Amino acid sequence: MDIACESPTEKGGETGESDETAAAPGGPGVTDTDGITEETDGDADGELKEASAEEGELKSQDISDLTAVEREDSSLLTPAAKKLKIDTKEKKEKKQKVDEDEIQKMQILVSSFSEEQLNRYEMYRRSAFPKAAIKRLIQSITGTSVSQNVVIAMSGISKVFVGEVVEEALDVCEKWGEMPPLQPKHMREAVRRLKSKGQIPNSKHKKIIFF
Amino acid sequence: MADEEEDPTFEEENGEIGGGAEGGQGKRKRLLSKELRCMMYGFGDDQNPYTESVDILEDLVIEFITEMTHKAMSIGRQGRVQVEDIVFLIRKDPRKFARVKDLLTMNEELKRARKAFDEANYGS
Repeated sequence: MDIACESPTEKGGETGESDETAAAPGGPGVTDTDGITEETDGDADGELKEASAEEGELKSQDISDLTAVEREDSSLLTPAAKKLKIDTKEKKEKKQKVDEDEIQKMQILVSSFSEEQLNRYEMYRRSAFPKAAIKRLIQSITGTSVSQNVVIAMSGISKVFVGEVVEEALDVCEKWGEMPPLQPKHMREAVRRLKSKGQIPNSKHKKIIFF
Repeated sequence: MADEEEDPTFEEENGEIGGGAEGGQGKRKRLLSKELRCMMYGFGDDQNPYTESVDILEDLVIEFITEMTHKAMSIGRQGRVQVEDIVFLIRKDPRKFARVKDLLTMNEELKRARKAFDEANYGS
């Protein structure tokens, strides 16, 4: 069977660093950073919401306490701040332990993949948008230059976006009792569904609220 | 004569809706086709996805990036796109938000590691 995609790792003009951050390379050999990637890409949605809710709880008093905490100057800490320090330390330890569990589970999972699954997983991790093209596109829209972090962020978000559309299209395809490869009608239905969920930004249509 | 008037608009609609030879966006060169194919396979599609589907996805991605860029330009520092603006725009979507945070954290770590490595080399 023809393989449509080549391994996009070594492309001329792309520096090594950009490849690392965008593509998060690495197959079954898992390092710390790989564990982080996996946690977010997996089904840890509830965990994510919890994490962002936790951060939302930080208020101004906490922030001034936290700066004292970060300086680790115990003499400046009020009892409340001391408790906060212990809390955050415990949370960090708990998060690290959760990370380690997550990494171990991923290792076990990946080691039991079939060859086709390994192939697909490798493509999933390694595929990335070319930084140069994204940078050119953004700069053609803004007219000014953009920093490297912006390009990194935008490429990452776009990849997640592609994932959402493709997954929704696969759902549609399965629901209609058809098989991959995905056809344009599946893609369009997927886009229609995501639009109604508000996942696809559209600032062209002015909503009339009252009339 | 009503037919003649209808036909051009009909053709125009067709060009916009379907993939067609032009890709629905005029003769713009396909920027992201190769990477998108690999991505689609990685996310669950067939090893050889249809070209029309890849075209549709490419248009979607370019539209997405365009929208985000325009929105980012209108908030925070006007006329510029900054990371903080992107993070703000994406705050409601948990997946994308977490992904951006991880990418930026990883980037910082890698930069620090590289710097330490270079300094170690330089020192010795």
